[in-house]
Amino acid sequence: MINTNFKESLHALIAPLGAIALTMALGFLLVAAISDEPVLAYRELLFANFDSLSNFALFLNRATPLVLISVGITFAFRAGVFNVGGEGQLFAGAIATTAVGIAFAGLPAIILFPLAVITGIAAGAAVGWVPGILKVKLGVDEVVVTLMLNTIVLLFTSYLVNQVIRDTTAYGAVSWKLPEHIWLPTIPGIPGATSGFMIAVVLSLVSWVVLFRTQWGTEVRSAGTNLRYAEAVGIAAGRRVITAMLIAGGFAGLAGALYVLGIGHRFEQNFSPEYGLIALTCALLARVNPAASLFTALYYALMLNGAAYMQISTEVPRSLVILLTGLLVLLMTARLTRKGSNNQTFDAF
Amino acid sequence: MDHDNILVLDGIAKQFGDIVALEHVDLSVRRGEVHVVCGENGAGKSTLMNILVGIHAPDGGKITFNGKETTIRDPLAAGDMGIGMVHQHFTLVPSMSVAENLFLGHHLRRFGIFSDRRAMVERAGTLIDTYSFALDPEAIVSTLSVGQRQRVEILKALVFDAELLILDEPTAVLTPPEVEELLKVITNLRDRGRTVLFITHKLREVKAVSDRVTILRRGKNISTHITKIVTENDIARDMVGRDVFLMGRQGQGVRTFGNNVLQLENVSITNSDGRLLLDGINLDVRAGEVLGVAGVDGNGQTELAEAIAGLIPIQAGTIRLDGADINNASVAERQEAGLGFVPEDRLDRGLSRNMSIAENMAATNYLRAGILWRGFVDKGRLAEFTQKGIEQFDIRGAKPGLAVGSLSGGNMQKVVLAREFARDPKVLLVSQPTRGLDIGASEFVYSEVLSAADKGNGILLISSELSEIFALADRIAVIYSGRIMQILTREDADEETVGILMNGGKEQAA
Repeated sequence: MINTNFKESLHALIAPLGAIALTMALGFLLVAAISDEPVLAYRELLFANFDSLSNFALFLNRATPLVLISVGITFAFRAGVFNVGGEGQLFAGAIATTAVGIAFAGLPAIILFPLAVITGIAAGAAVGWVPGILKVKLGVDEVVVTLMLNTIVLLFTSYLVNQVIRDTTAYGAVSWKLPEHIWLPTIPGIPGATSGFMIAVVLSLVSWVVLFRTQWGTEVRSAGTNLRYAEAVGIAAGRRVITAMLIAGGFAGLAGALYVLGIGHRFEQNFSPEYGLIALTCALLARVNPAASLFTALYYALMLNGAAYMQISTEVPRSLVILLTGLLVLLMTARLTRKGSNNQTFDAF
Repeated sequence: MDHDNILVLDGIAKQFGDIVALEHVDLSVRRGEVHVVCGENGAGKSTLMNILVGIHAPDGGKITFNGKETTIRDPLAAGDMGIGMVHQHFTLVPSMSVAENLFLGHHLRRFGIFSDRRAMVERAGTLIDTYSFALDPEAIVSTLSVGQRQRVEILKALVFDAELLILDEPTAVLTPPEVEELLKVITNLRDRGRTVLFITHKLREVKAVSDRVTILRRGKNISTHITKIVTENDIARDMVGRDVFLMGRQGQGVRTFGNNVLQLENVSITNSDGRLLLDGINLDVRAGEVLGVAGVDGNGQTELAEAIAGLIPIQAGTIRLDGADINNASVAERQEAGLGFVPEDRLDRGLSRNMSIAENMAATNYLRAGILWRGFVDKGRLAEFTQKGIEQFDIRGAKPGLAVGSLSGGNMQKVVLAREFARDPKVLLVSQPTRGLDIGASEFVYSEVLSAADKGNGILLISSELSEIFALADRIAVIYSGRIMQILTREDADEETVGILMNGGKEQAA
C-alpha cells in the first residue's frame, strides 16, 4: 500500500520535472540561436538568483504573492469556480491594508498590524464573494464577473492612489508610506526577504490538509466536481462554493496585505507584474494542488527575476521568459500516450 | 455457402495490454438481415464493432466483406467500403442544421468550390422521405429530441450508401416510446434492403427486432440463434453462462409488513410556469415492503424522487418519514433521519466521477462509519470502510483510491448502492436502479433490494421497466401525468392492466 502510494507520487513528479527539463533544453537552443554567450545567459537566468543574499531575498519576495494567490485560486478551482480575479482581489487587499495603515498610523502595532492584515483579507474576500454569490444564486458566469471586477478594482485603486492617498513628495503613483512600526520583519539571516514567505509556505501546506484531509475539503471538492451530486448526498453545495470563493479572495487579499507590509511598505500603482494571472498559471501547472503550487510559484519567481539578470548581462531580452513559460504550459498540458494503450487518465477537474 | 453473407468474421482476436478483449470471434451476417450481437458489459461487443469500423486493428483473424478478404484501416476506409456506424454517443454539431450535419466534411459543391446548400437540403429531404423519418432537413440539431438526433445519426450513415449499418447500443439513451420508434425504423431499413448489425444487452429488443442473434461472452462467440425459435431465458443463459433469476420473489407466500415508514399526503409540485408536475400524490410505504411506482418516463417520477429526497421544495402536502413531518428538513437531515436515496442517473446525482471510489462511497457515511476525527478524514478508516463495501457488493476492478469514473456502469451503480445501503436506512428510495446494467448486475441489484426489504427497510422503487416492478414490488402504484392512477396489490396486478394505467387509463391507441 505504502509502496504503491510512493510509486504513484513519484510518477506524479516525473511528468512535471520532465516537462521543465525539456523546456529548459528547448529554451537553450533558442538562446544559442540569438546570443553569442548562451551559457552565460542561461547561468544568469537560472543561478543569478542565488549569487547573493540580496538576490535570493528578492527571489523570495517575488514568490510570496504568487504562492498565496495560487493557493487561494486552488480553493476556487476545486469548488468548480474558474476564478480569474486574482489580480483584482490582490489590489483590493493591498489598497485596504494601506488605507488602514495610513489612516490609523497612531495606533500601536499590536492593534494596527492585525487590523491592517484583516482589512486586507476582508477586502480581497469581498471581491471574491461577488462572483461566488452571483454564480450560486443567479448562475452568472464567474469568468466574466471576475475579469470585469479586475478592471473595476484596478481603476478604483488607481483613483485612490492618485487622488486620495498619494505621496506628493514622491515620483509616480505611490501612496504615503506605512508607519514603520507595522512593517513585517525580514527573515532572520536573509536581509530584505519578507517573512511573509514563511507564512505563505505554512498556508500552502495547511491548505493541502484542509482540501484533501478534512470533511469540509471533501465537500468543497464534491461541489466542484459535480454540484448536483453534492446536493444529493446532503452537502450544502452552494454555501461551500461561496465559502471557497471567500477563501480564494481572502488569500489574494492577504497577498496584497503582506506585500505592502513586508515588501513595498506603501501601495504602488504598478507593484504587480500581473501576479494574479501568473498565479493562475502556477495553480494550473500544479494540477490544482496547493502544496505543489508552492513549487510552481517558486519556479515562476525564479524565471521572472532570472530574466532580468539575464537581460542585464547579455543581449537576450527578458521576454524570452514569456516564451519559456508558454512552452512549459504547453508541455505540461500535452500528455504523451502510447498509441493503442487505453489508459484511464485522471483529471484534476 | 447457402446464404449470401455480406460480412464474415473468422477468428477475430484483440488484446489491450494484458487484457484479452476478444479471444476468438466468428460471425457471419447475411445480406438484408437484422443481426443482433448481445452480451454483457465487457463481453467484447464494442471492441468488435470498433474493429469493424477501423478504430482498432485486430491482432488476429480474417474479415471478409462482400466476399473479399479485407483489412479495414480507419473509419474513412470503412465508410468507403459501405460500413456505417451509429455510435452510442452522438457525433453531431448541435448548432448546425440536419442537412449540414449529414454532409459534414462531404459538402456538395457547386463549381467545386461553393457549398450547395439547396442541393444538400433536397438530398436530405429525399432521404428522409425514403425512410419516412419525419425530420425537417433545415431544423437545427440542438432543437431536436434525443430520438430525432439519433435518426439524424442513422441518416448520416445512410447518406453515403452504407450497406451494413452498425448500431451500438442505440436504445441506451432513449425513452421507451422512442425505443418503439427506433425499432420500427430498423425494421423499415431491413425492408429496404439494408443489413443492420445491432448491439444490445436488452433481451426484449433482441426478440422484437432481430432475425438472428449472436451471443458473446468473455471475448468469444458462444452461440448464434434464429431469434424466432429461441427463448429469452436461453439467450440470458448464454450471456451470463449460468441460469439467471430475474424472477424476484414470485410464489413466496404471504408477507407481513410493519408500520408506515414513509407517507406522502396530497403532495403537489408546481413548476415556474404554473404547471402541476405532481398533483396530490398520496403514497405510503410500510416497513419491509417494496412499493413499486410504475410509469412511462417523464410523468413526474423525477420530481417525486427529488421531493422526497429534499432536493426540490413541494408546494402543498406533507411528507412524513417514520411518522415525523420532514417537509422543512434539509437533504442531510432527511438522510440523518433514515432516508437512503439512489438517484435515477448515477452520473448526474449519484456519483462524482472524478473523485475516488472511497470518497464517493463515504459521502453520506462520514460520521456514522467513524471515518472522521474532529473534522479530519482518517484515511485508514476510509480505506477500510471502502474495502468492506467493495467486497460486500462485489465491485470488480475497484480500489479505494481509483476514480469512480473508471468503473463500468454496473460497478458504478454498485458504489451508489453500497453507499446508501451502508447506513441501513429505514426508507430506501430507489430510482431506475438497473438502467444501463447488464443481466448479471441487475440480478445482483434485485437481490440486494429484496434482502433490504427482508431486513425490514421500506423501499420505494421507481422504475419505467415493468418487468422490474413486477419482479420486486409488493404493491404497484401507477403514475401518469403527475398523478397516481391507482395502487394495486401484486396479486391483483397484471402487465396489461398496469400498461393501460401507464397510458392514462385509456386503451393504447392503435
